[in-house]
Amino acid sequence: MKIPFISHTTEIKDSPYSIEVKQLTKVYGKFAAVDHLTFNVKKGEIFGFLGANGAGKTTAIRMLCSLLQPTSGEATIAGFDLRKNAKSIKKNIGYMSQRFSLYDDLTIYENMQLFGTVYGIPHKELKNRIFESLKTLNLEDKYKTLVYSIPLGWKQKLSFATAMLHRPQIVFLDEPTSGVDPIVRREFWNLIYEAASKGVTIFVTTHYMDEAEYCERVSIMSNGQLKLIGTPTELKETMQVDSIEKVFVKFVDR
Amino acid sequence: MLTDKRLEMKELQQILKKEFIHIFRDKITLFLVLAIPIVLVLLFGFTISTDINHAKIAILDLSNDSQSNELIEKIEASGYFEIVSTPKSETEIDNDFKNKNIKLALIIPPNFEKILAKEKFITIQIISDVSDLNVASILNNYIKAILHDFTLDYNVGSPMKVPIEISTRMMYNPEANSVYMFVPGIITLIMIIVTALLSSITLSREAETGTMRMLLIAPVKKIYVVIGKVIPYMILSFISTIAIIIISVVVFKMPIEGSFWLLLLLCIIFMLTSASFGMMISSLVKTQLDAMMITMMGLFLPTALLSGFLFPIDNMPYFFQLLANIFPAKWFIIAIKDVMIKGSGIVDIWLYLVILLGMAALLITFSLSRIDKRR
Repeated sequence: MKIPFISHTTEIKDSPYSIEVKQLTKVYGKFAAVDHLTFNVKKGEIFGFLGANGAGKTTAIRMLCSLLQPTSGEATIAGFDLRKNAKSIKKNIGYMSQRFSLYDDLTIYENMQLFGTVYGIPHKELKNRIFESLKTLNLEDKYKTLVYSIPLGWKQKLSFATAMLHRPQIVFLDEPTSGVDPIVRREFWNLIYEAASKGVTIFVTTHYMDEAEYCERVSIMSNGQLKLIGTPTELKETMQVDSIEKVFVKFVDR
Repeated sequence: MLTDKRLEMKELQQILKKEFIHIFRDKITLFLVLAIPIVLVLLFGFTISTDINHAKIAILDLSNDSQSNELIEKIEASGYFEIVSTPKSETEIDNDFKNKNIKLALIIPPNFEKILAKEKFITIQIISDVSDLNVASILNNYIKAILHDFTLDYNVGSPMKVPIEISTRMMYNPEANSVYMFVPGIITLIMIIVTALLSSITLSREAETGTMRMLLIAPVKKIYVVIGKVIPYMILSFISTIAIIIISVVVFKMPIEGSFWLLLLLCIIFMLTSASFGMMISSLVKTQLDAMMITMMGLFLPTALLSGFLFPIDNMPYFFQLLANIFPAKWFIIAIKDVMIKGSGIVDIWLYLVILLGMAALLITFSLSRIDKRR
């Protein structure tokens, strides 16, 4: 059987970027939630997408995941045009949200099986991948456990593993570590680094500024616009401070 | 293409499987959904009946002759009445209403036999307890029928005939059995509870927990996500409906005059309409609680009141008669009564089927267009 998301990779344009956004805008009535956003993300890059609550991050991510139609502007995600190839984009991206989004009353295995299947992974292959990823998380003997009964930190790691089952080129992480303890956060970032080292582009939003330091490049959004973009070192130098947290605070205060 | 279709079916299958797991792990809901309809139909069948048997009455017989005794016997033999008191005066009747809880009293005048033999008219007084209007009017009708019968019997063979004899033929429900009325009503309410309420709750629960977004981000068609969630509840309500029909036929002797398959088709179509009402509601609200409140107040209550199940639509103010049209239950109740009681075929009820299907199509289109606009 042909696996659809592999067959599509041949169509990908030869570009160093996995996300290219030009003048992307979303207007609700008279309010521009996202206002002419333009940026690129390199393949395999860990890209931090920062901004205060209500800055327009979630709306932007929803558009990039083709959940929401932009009012104007263009974007190419994983080599596909946002307006023309929504389905191909969906097959090539993974998504994990701040709100824990697996089913509580399903077991770990049932959850992974459901999401794997809706991404079109054939049954046998899926089974192998599930046990493979549970092995790396040291959860293989827990596969029959109801998700309800496992700790939040595990749930978040499990969500990430589930979002990676169909081997996406890009994974969108919307505040993936909110509410978990520092040790789990560290472990979670190890998972992120591991995925990035295999060439997966990581697009991550966070409110933890120490996490922003882990990113290769960081952008800061405010009032629907992208105000700053660069490596953490560049941003600190431009703003003449010694941490991203100070960059953020200084910037938001301004 | 073939592979694509097969893949899509697998995805739908998986979503269905997941929903069934939800249902079977939630034993309480499952039990309620399957048990409540059966309990309800038995409860309605045995208690909320408009047929009255053994109503307590008092008879003040001021004649005590052979004819008055014959009349009293006739009343007793009808089975509708139980004579609990034979007062000696009108004051005693008053007390019987208060103390013996009689529903009706009859006063047979003195010299009943003599007057009956000589005169054309005789007045028998009926005193009713009208604190319950329905019961009073039903009992009045019963007793009038018995009195009418009595005069007919009395005049047999005599030259003095009653000039007009009224002969009523009760079409479709010859025994005026109220089971005929409430079974269609209960099927309607159950289907609305199980399909509309549960599907609106389950859809808004997914929106609330964020799992809906996970499914919508996946490359699976929106329509599969939605129907995959709704079909299991339709199956549940179908099982309940079959149970109600079996009970009403076996226990309450409700007839199915028309085609059984047409009846099933009708039920399936109504289920689809109810489910799409649930989808529409869930696409408008943000939380499960809102979905529940709106389904109860906005759909369940109007359905109970306006569908013609409890109150006849023809007697409602014009505005409410118009309003009743937008609730699918009205059309369903007309159609199901036609099929079960009158024995109508598809030629007679096709219009109602089209209306129900049209409503479903409209609501599903609307909900799908809204599903991913919601945050």
